[in-house]
Amino acid sequence: VAKTSLTSPPWPEVKLPDPVEEAKYHAEVVRKVNAMIAAGQYGRLFAVVHFASKQWKVTSEDLIMMDNVLEAECGDRIRMEKVLLVGADDFTLIGRPLLGKDLVRVEATVIEKTESWPKINMRFWRRHNYQRKKIIVNPQTVLRINTIEIFPCLS
Amino acid sequence: MVLLSAPRWLRSRLTDRFWRVQEVLKYARHFRGRKNRCYKLAIRSVQRAFVKSTKARRKKKRILRTLWITRIEAASLEHGLKYPAFISNLLKSQVELNRKMIADLAIYEPKTFKSLAALAQRRRQEGFLAALGDGKEPEGIFSRIVHHY
Repeated sequence: VAKTSLTSPPWPEVKLPDPVEEAKYHAEVVRKVNAMIAAGQYGRLFAVVHFASKQWKVTSEDLIMMDNVLEAECGDRIRMEKVLLVGADDFTLIGRPLLGKDLVRVEATVIEKTESWPKINMRFWRRHNYQRKKIIVNPQTVLRINTIEIFPCLS
Repeated sequence: MVLLSAPRWLRSRLTDRFWRVQEVLKYARHFRGRKNRCYKLAIRSVQRAFVKSTKARRKKKRILRTLWITRIEAASLEHGLKYPAFISNLLKSQVELNRKMIADLAIYEPKTFKSLAALAQRRRQEGFLAALGDGKEPEGIFSRIVHHY
């Protein structure tokens, strides 16, 4: 059959590596990472946490400010459960989409609950004698991330 | 004796005009020219400034999103992937990081971004193989060669 422009697909031909060998390689990598986590050979950990409908890249001892009210008193410890990604210098654990709760633990404390600076909302139509001015003050919460811990439960 | 109308020498005078004017001028102090000093010019500038800031709060979200997309595109091109391929394959592999996070990771965690790019590339290749299917011809075609008589 003659070769036309549609005989071969427009993308270059790819060959995937052998699945058996790949499974062995994956198991080896998982074992090594588990050993590293168990031995504690990681420096500072960072995590991507989904909290208050936003995603935050978080390390230990850093501050987070949310534009809403949290039903927890000042000084309460909070555990953040929706962790999307955890990483250190040599390895990262990517969740699909979330990581297990027995794998990562992110702890935070509520530090202060304040209000934002008064934001001004104004609408104005020229030549129509129409103006409305509204002052909006949002409640805010500040959290400090205390620790991020990982446990060697990979499989 | 009940007085029903106030005596005509009692007039009501505006005594806090200064503070009413200062309320507006305090928002104009960092402006350029006479509109930071003169009330009549200042109210116009201050009103326009408030309206622009309210509209800008909605536009900021759009602007930041395009900025993140530009940054992700630049970073993924360094790893040999285009932005639509990168994002679509990441979503198909059920990684739900948003653009802000991916842009931050590309800036501050280059190794993590490289692993994400590799993941997207691998998923792309698996998609190509799945699209090709078995490689057999579909049934019902009796001839692929066109005869000209």
